[in-house]
Amino acid sequence: MKLLIIEDEKELAASIASYLKNENYTCEVASNFKQAIDKIETTDYECIALDITLPDGSGMQLLKELKNNKKSEGVIIISAKNSIDDRINGLRLGADDYLVKPFHLSELAARINAIIRRKMYNGNNIIRFNEIFIDTLAKEVTVKKELIELTRKEYELLLYFLSNQRRVISKNALISHLWSQEMGTGESADIIYTHIKNLRKKLSEKGCGDYIRSLYGMGYKLTDQ
Amino acid sequence: MKLQTQYNKISIASTILVLLIAGAGYYFLLQYVLKDQLDETLRVEQVEIQDFIQTNHSLPPATTYKDQRIEFKKSGKALPQSFRTLMLYNADEKENELSRQLDFTVEVNGQYYIASVTKSQEATEEIIGVILLITLGLIILLSMLLFFANRFVVKRLWQPFQTTLSSIKNFDLNAPSAIKTEKTTIHEFNELNENISMMTEKVVRDYLALKQFIDHASHEMQTPLAVVNSKLDMLIQDPTLNEKNLQDVQVIYDAVDKMSKLSQSLLLLARIENNQFSEKQEVDICVITKNIIQELDEWISERSLTISNKIGELKANMNPQLANTLISNLIINAIKHSNKQERIILRSDKNVFTISNPGTSALDGDRIFNRFWKSEYSDGTGLGLAIAKQICGHYEFLLQYEFREGIHHFSIRF
Repeated sequence: MKLLIIEDEKELAASIASYLKNENYTCEVASNFKQAIDKIETTDYECIALDITLPDGSGMQLLKELKNNKKSEGVIIISAKNSIDDRINGLRLGADDYLVKPFHLSELAARINAIIRRKMYNGNNIIRFNEIFIDTLAKEVTVKKELIELTRKEYELLLYFLSNQRRVISKNALISHLWSQEMGTGESADIIYTHIKNLRKKLSEKGCGDYIRSLYGMGYKLTDQ
Repeated sequence: MKLQTQYNKISIASTILVLLIAGAGYYFLLQYVLKDQLDETLRVEQVEIQDFIQTNHSLPPATTYKDQRIEFKKSGKALPQSFRTLMLYNADEKENELSRQLDFTVEVNGQYYIASVTKSQEATEEIIGVILLITLGLIILLSMLLFFANRFVVKRLWQPFQTTLSSIKNFDLNAPSAIKTEKTTIHEFNELNENISMMTEKVVRDYLALKQFIDHASHEMQTPLAVVNSKLDMLIQDPTLNEKNLQDVQVIYDAVDKMSKLSQSLLLLARIENNQFSEKQEVDICVITKNIIQELDEWISERSLTISNKIGELKANMNPQLANTLISNLIINAIKHSNKQERIILRSDKNVFTISNPGTSALDGDRIFNRFWKSEYSDGTGLGLAIAKQICGHYEFLLQYEFREGIHHFSIRF
């Protein structure tokens, strides 16, 4: 599957590409409007991460081009602009999601995964990590065909981990993913810790392997290595 | 004191003074002239008497006719002629009258006589009296005229100034409209109006530029922050990092978060000032409060706080997003500054929303709503309450802080 990152800040584009690259995805980068148009015309992508402020044109114009060409790519806008109007404009022009800078790469990855699931499998998809299965349509988690009852926050956490398999996710990324309002990292860390503890307990009760590793409390990783 | 009152006082006082001095001068001058004229009449009588004696070689008969009297007295010697003023009894009027008398010596057949011609001065006095009365009347009339002229004419003259002044009073940088001025022929006012217009235009321009600067600066900061965040996200994938490295990375993450929140908050403030939240609708504060408390539930239980939500029917006409920001900023503020196991109380009374939480001492009520004001143990941006204040100011809601009996109260009158 091919992803396109349209971002004029080269270092940011490089980080995104290197984070998203894995067994399933290949990433290409366009750093201006012209390059982006060339790439879109010659290649079909599954998803495009689009910065709307480009040096030689507007990302909004690109969105219109995509729509006119009846392309089926998913588009996630990555923008420094955070106003409701900007969001509404982007989504009205056919973008699937809108992510405000600065963001965490794990968040971008989770959202791109969600877009691709919706686009390619009509939202009816199962994400898998070893014996853990998540049905994102039914919002159900099964381990060895046994259903696990999770709270909303635990479900969101697990889904986030599965969207960022074998990657270290910072505590800050988890906090901003789980809460739009937050109260300072000190206590949030404790709350996250409690959620993860409960999640691990619920998983291991069903005989699931212990895959969530903590990195001195500053980050977590879902891994089987 | 008003300029007009001051001016009235000076002009009326000086007018009265001048008129009084002029009146007195006038009185003495008139008296002098009239006396002179009376003396002239007496002299004419003298000449007539002397002519009579020269022709007839005898004294004319002594007469008393109306206000004029002629008398002769024998005298041993000739005396120089003299004028004098004296009181004489008038038989007709039966009263003493001020009179003017000329004494002179005549010689009839070698015998000296002192002739006295007397005329009553009463008529002259009457004229002076009338003239003084007229003058006094003029003083009063003139003063009144001046008073009313000042009151109405001057008031009208100052009208353009008053218009400009009230326009300046109503001037609001956040909703700038051109300063209203009245066209006038008065040079000073025109100059004033021109300069005020120029000044306000410049102030508005500078203010807009400043707001735009904040807007741009906040936006421009987001991309470099995104670069830092993405590099950190990549950095922590490195399995060779030790605990110390990761702790440092954590500090950088937190700093980036804080910086991002700061610029978002500044942007929000700039947007409220720029009137970019024009959309208004009736929002249900009760529902908003419930949702926020639910969202913050984990922090509330983490701190073992009790929230007693007694918000009843409370509606406000405002932007829903701002309503949410306003209420959540106040609730988050209360949660952050509460100690474990304390109770936060939310109440509503008609159109007043109040949030109360226990505290040890009163906060500085003048400064808590200032930007970047923080208590020493706060780790926030110092903009939460400033944003709440700005939102309330935008809709003319009254946001107040009070400290009573060990409890902080923040209230909004919608």
